[in-house]
Parts: sequence; C-alpha cells; structure tokens
Amino acid sequence: MKRICKRILSVLLVACALVLAGSLVAAPAQALTTEKATARPNEDGGSGVIGGIPTRLTWEGVVEPGEQIASVTLMLPDTGKFDDSTTKVTVLDGLNRTPIEGKTNIAANVLGVELSEPAKEGYKLRLEIEDTVFPPEGGDVVVNGTYTTADGSTKDLAPSKPISTISNTWVQQVVTWLDQQPWVQAWNSNQFLGMFLKPQLIVTSLFSLFPGWLVCLGIVIVAYPFAILLGLVFALMKLSKFRVLRAIAVVYINVLRGTPLFLQIYIMFFGLPMMHINIDNNVLGVIVMAINSSAYLAEIFRAGIESIPVGQYEAAASLGMGRLMTMVHIILPQTVRRVIPTVTSDFIMAFKDTSLLSSVGVMELMMFAKNLTSVSGNMTPYVTAAIFYLIVTLPLIKVVSTIEKRIARSERGAGPRPKAKAANDEQVDEETPAQENGATPEASLASALSAPFKAGTSVFGGVADVR
Amino acid sequence: MFDKAKARVDARREARQVPPPLDPEQAAKEAHERDKGLTKHHFEPHEHPCVRIEHLMKTFDGETQVLTDVNLTVWPGEVVCVLGPSGSGKSTMLRCINLLETPTAGHILIEDKEITGHLPTKEVNKLRQNLGMVFQSFNLFPNLTAKGNVMIGQTKVLKKSKEEAEAEALKQLDAVGLGDRADFKPAQLSGGQQQRVAIARAVAMHPDILLFDEPTSALDPELVRGVLDVMRDLAENGGMTMIVVTHEMGFAREVADRVVFMEGGVVVEQGTPEQVFDNPQHNRTAEFLGSIG
Repeated sequence: MKRICKRILSVLLVACALVLAGSLVAAPAQALTTEKATARPNEDGGSGVIGGIPTRLTWEGVVEPGEQIASVTLMLPDTGKFDDSTTKVTVLDGLNRTPIEGKTNIAANVLGVELSEPAKEGYKLRLEIEDTVFPPEGGDVVVNGTYTTADGSTKDLAPSKPISTISNTWVQQVVTWLDQQPWVQAWNSNQFLGMFLKPQLIVTSLFSLFPGWLVCLGIVIVAYPFAILLGLVFALMKLSKFRVLRAIAVVYINVLRGTPLFLQIYIMFFGLPMMHINIDNNVLGVIVMAINSSAYLAEIFRAGIESIPVGQYEAAASLGMGRLMTMVHIILPQTVRRVIPTVTSDFIMAFKDTSLLSSVGVMELMMFAKNLTSVSGNMTPYVTAAIFYLIVTLPLIKVVSTIEKRIARSERGAGPRPKAKAANDEQVDEETPAQENGATPEASLASALSAPFKAGTSVFGGVADVR
Repeated sequence: MFDKAKARVDARREARQVPPPLDPEQAAKEAHERDKGLTKHHFEPHEHPCVRIEHLMKTFDGETQVLTDVNLTVWPGEVVCVLGPSGSGKSTMLRCINLLETPTAGHILIEDKEITGHLPTKEVNKLRQNLGMVFQSFNLFPNLTAKGNVMIGQTKVLKKSKEEAEAEALKQLDAVGLGDRADFKPAQLSGGQQQRVAIARAVAMHPDILLFDEPTSALDPELVRGVLDVMRDLAENGGMTMIVVTHEMGFAREVADRVVFMEGGVVVEQGTPEQVFDNPQHNRTAEFLGSIG
C-alpha cells in the first residue's frame, strides 16, 4: 500500500515538473500571439470540416505590447494546400480597420503575408484564406507558422488550437461529384425532389444512418429470444390450472397490451434512474422491447396452443404421456408451425417500434435521421431511414405470406412427398424429390420450424387409399 | 343456475349410493356364471376378467346423464363389440375405461385394480400405457411422420432406444400394410391409411387391451375394409383383448366373441353375435338391428 502511494506520488511529481518545464519553454514572450484559427464547415448538410475539399481558413493574431510585426507565414501539415487560395488581409486597430495592406506569396502548404507597413502593438491581424485545402486524411489540424518583427528577427508562432477535420472518404468524393452534376442540380431544383430525395443527402445519410440501423436490428434481435421465452412462460401460465398463475399472467399480458409502448419506455427510462438504477440505454431498450413483445407473443402462443385440437391431447394421453411431455413433444411443435406467421408479423412490429426509443436518447436509426434532418433542414434523411426500415420489413412480409401459403397447402395434404419404398406404388410422383429431413421422425423444433420452407413440387388433390 | 347446482349435488348423493366394488374372487365367480353362455370366448374357470365395470355412471355438467348404470366384464383375449344408437353412451363408456372421461360414480377395475376415484397422475399414465386407444378421428400427430407417430410413445414413454423403437415401428407399420409409407406425414395419407397408422401406434405400445372408438365411422366406405382387415387380424392372430365401439355389423358378427347392445346409458342386451343378431331378446335391440339392416 505504502509503496503504491510512493509510486503515485513520484509519478505526480515528475508530471508536475514536466508541465512546469513545458510552460517555461513555451512561455518566452511572443511578439504575435495566435488568437484564433477556424475553418468554415464544408460538409453538405453537416457541421464538419472535410479535408481535401476547399474551405475558408480564418486566422487571427494580436501584436503584443512593444512589438511590431512585418510579416507572417502560416503553415499547414504537409498534405494541406494553399495552392489556389486567395487571401484577404485585415489589420485592425481596436475596432477600426487600418490601411495596412498585405501581399501574399504561396508555396504549397506555406502561405506568407508581407505587410505594407508593420503592425503596431495591440493591432489584430486577421487572415481569411479562401480555398484552403486541409489534409484529405482528416484528423486534428494545427496551424503553425512564423513571424518577422519590424527589426528583422524571425520567430515561430505558437501553434493554433487544433481544427478537427473529417477525412475525405470516397463517399465525400461521390457527394462532391454529385454536386457538380447538372442532372443533380436539375433534380434538386424541383422542390419536392430536392426536399425529400436529394441525391447527395441520400448518399451521406445511407452511411451516417447505418450505425443507427445496426442498433435497431441489434436491439430487436437481442430482445426477441427473451421475448419468445417470456411469452411462452406467460402463455403456459395463462393456460395453467392454477388460478394464481393464471391471474398473474392475465394481469401482465393485459397491462402491457393495454398501455402504449411509448408510455412503457418513458416509465422505464425515467423511472429506473429515479430509483438510482442506472442501466445502459441500449440494454434498457432491449429490456423494454423484450417485455413489451413478450405480452403480445404470450397471447399469440396461447391462441396457438389452444388451436390444437383436443384430440391431440387425448391421443398423447392414451399413449401414457404426461402433461409436460405432451406439451413439449406434441403440442408445442405443432404450435410453432402455426404461430410462425403471426410471430414474424410481431417481429416486424417490434422492429418498427424501436423507433420510439429515439425519444429517450437511444442512438438508433430514427435518432440519427432526426439529427441529420435538423442539421440539413432537409427531409431526405427520413426517407433514407424509411429505406432502412423497409430493407428488413419487406423481405419478412414476403416470408410471412410464403409460410402462410405453405402451411395452408400442407394442411390440405398437398405438400411434397417422400419417395415410397415400394417400386410398384404409382401413387407417388416419381419426380417428387425426397425431403432431406423427411426421413427423420423426431419431433424436433428445428424440423418443425424449417418445414414450411422446404421446397417441393405440389401435388394437388387427395390420395387414394392403397390396398 | 340453481338447478345445475342441485343436479350436481344429487349426482354426488347418488354416487355415494353405489355399492363398493365386489371382492375379486366373488366378482370373478359371478362373472363366470353370467358370461358363460354369452360369449364365444373360452375362459378358464380360474381366470379373472381383465376389465370389470360395475354400476358405472357418468353425468356431464351434473345435468346430462350419459351413463346410468353400466355393468360389463371383459375377459383376457376376448373381442367385445359394443353396438347402439348414437347418444347411447358407448363412446363415453370406452373413454371412461382409460380415464379420458372421469366417471361420476361406479367402479372400473382393470385386472382387479380399481382405477376410479382419485388416482395419482403417474398411475393414470401407467394405466393408459396398458390401454391402447384408437380414435374415430385418428388423432395422428400431424407434425410427425407415420413412423414418428408410432415411435414417439415408445421412445418417450417406454424409454426405448431410437433404433429399437424404429424397428418396432416399421414392424407394426408393415403389419398394417403401410411399411412403404413410413416417411409420409399424416396429411399425405388417406383416412384409411391414417387410421391404420393409428392402430400401429396403439399396438406398438404392446398394451393388454385395445379400445376402438368407432374406428371406421369417419372413413369413406371404400376405405373401411382395409381398417377392418387390420382389426380382424389383430383379433384372430394377435389374441388381443379388444373393446370395439362400432357400427360395422358385419365385423361384429364375424369377429366379435360377444356383442353388447347399449342404449340410454345401460347395457340392454349382450350375448354371442348369433344370439344378439339372430335372436334378440329385447325389442329395442331388434328395432335397432332392423333399422341398421
């Protein structure tokens, strides 16, 4: 313990010494102090400064008492460019402009300004450099440089505060390219198209919304297995012969189905922190979605279980199977097949409902779209968000209808048939491919689940008895 | 509402009035006396009946009295066909035997062991393993193949290995003439084939007694014969004890050791097929047989 304290103390001491030394070194009186170095955002629909694309750099410095400045040189990192820049030099005496002019000379990433006469103490020197190109790789850019005093000595400028820039990705290049296309300009000049389907914004938001889409998917995919499990538990409780279990299940299901998800989200997200229970937003989002879906799933499962004819229970009972065994091996596998379409519909609902989590600050798709829209003042990010939602929901809607058709067909008995072993059996279509899993007789959940997806030619009409 | 409650109370009161089950020895003696001329089945003097139904009564919701007072004994290896108009309580009696219905009053004894009253669930399951049942509507498990249907009771209830169960399943399916349909799902089979699978499923559990609840009633006429052939084979070659509720007079006449005619919740008449069909003692029996044809 003592040793650790000593170690920490010594580290602290060294750190202090270093800081002191650094400030002493940096401190030597500057004749020209850097006041400001900023860049104008050049991101389409954003507030970022993108490297590799021209923007305006504004630099300001103040002449210290007793000093006179003759010239200033600014320097960007090696990959920055001043090549096409035009510079506006302003020298201010307090609030008044002085008639001092500046002459610029440019060499790649170095820009020098020679003043027509020295700037006196207290003067503020402002350089507005149009078409400055920051390094395309992005990152924090520090503007360095030198200055020359009236007496001819040259010193280094104190480095500016870093300007954070975004790297110029290929997305950015696409947007830049789009900006220049006449058809894009024509497209955007249409009020509707420009407001809802601006190509540049579609491209950028496709990328900036993507993490939000992943969060949505993540939340619902993690939440759903829990929802299924909880739903099954409550469905079985509701079907239980014990009154207390039934009552608990009924209250749980009815309260959750009878109140808006929005309200449940608010209660959980604002209520739990008030009880000093702090859970990560995404995790809490998963919990809320799982609980909400479980109530709907419980009802779906209950209806599914109840739709199994009583004869199935009797047949199982007549074989000597107990209640649990009957449930697990006979009833649930049949229920699974019946509820797949409804459960998939519920999954679609749950996926869409994650959008409500944006109201409590979960960084999901809707949240990203909202932010991007408020920055760009354009509706396109919402339309892009819609595309993202549809990417998931449309295929699932298709899946639901396919399964429904398959189930309807197989209940008519017109599903694919396995090959009969007897050669003389003309009832079996020889073309019918053998079912891959048809030969295994277990009541496995997996085969029950996959049954509706199995492909096969359909054979319509009944099958005659073979004697 | 009060009527219902009153009826329920009355039913319970009546239930109390049913005498306790007879002592096995005495019951066997009485059954020997009674059944001697009534069945073609030959039973030994020391044998006890394997099913004994005494004063069986069943009311639904305390109102509808389906079984009033049923008395019946079935001997090991005997084939009993139960006839009667619909609503006469044949099916209910059958379902009472494996406790799919709980008897309101009276006694059912299987191998001299009473199953009525409060039987623990485990005992009930054990009992049902021993009583195969074939339903009017087949009740095959649609999620399983024919083979799977025959296997599941063996693997889950009898805890047989998969291979063993599969071999048994194929054997039983062969016996009902469906060896080539082992991998078909019930929906892909005709009604007659489904019912034969159901019979294979029941037989594969090797029960002592098979109960048939109108096994051919839901079938198209041309599919009936296949099922009856299987049942006849079981009766004649399998030596199985069978209680068959049926409307198939031909089958009853040919295969049954004894024919029981029920109406209004009681056994009206019983006897060998010849006695009942050719020389019915009761008017109702004659009427019923005449109307059926």
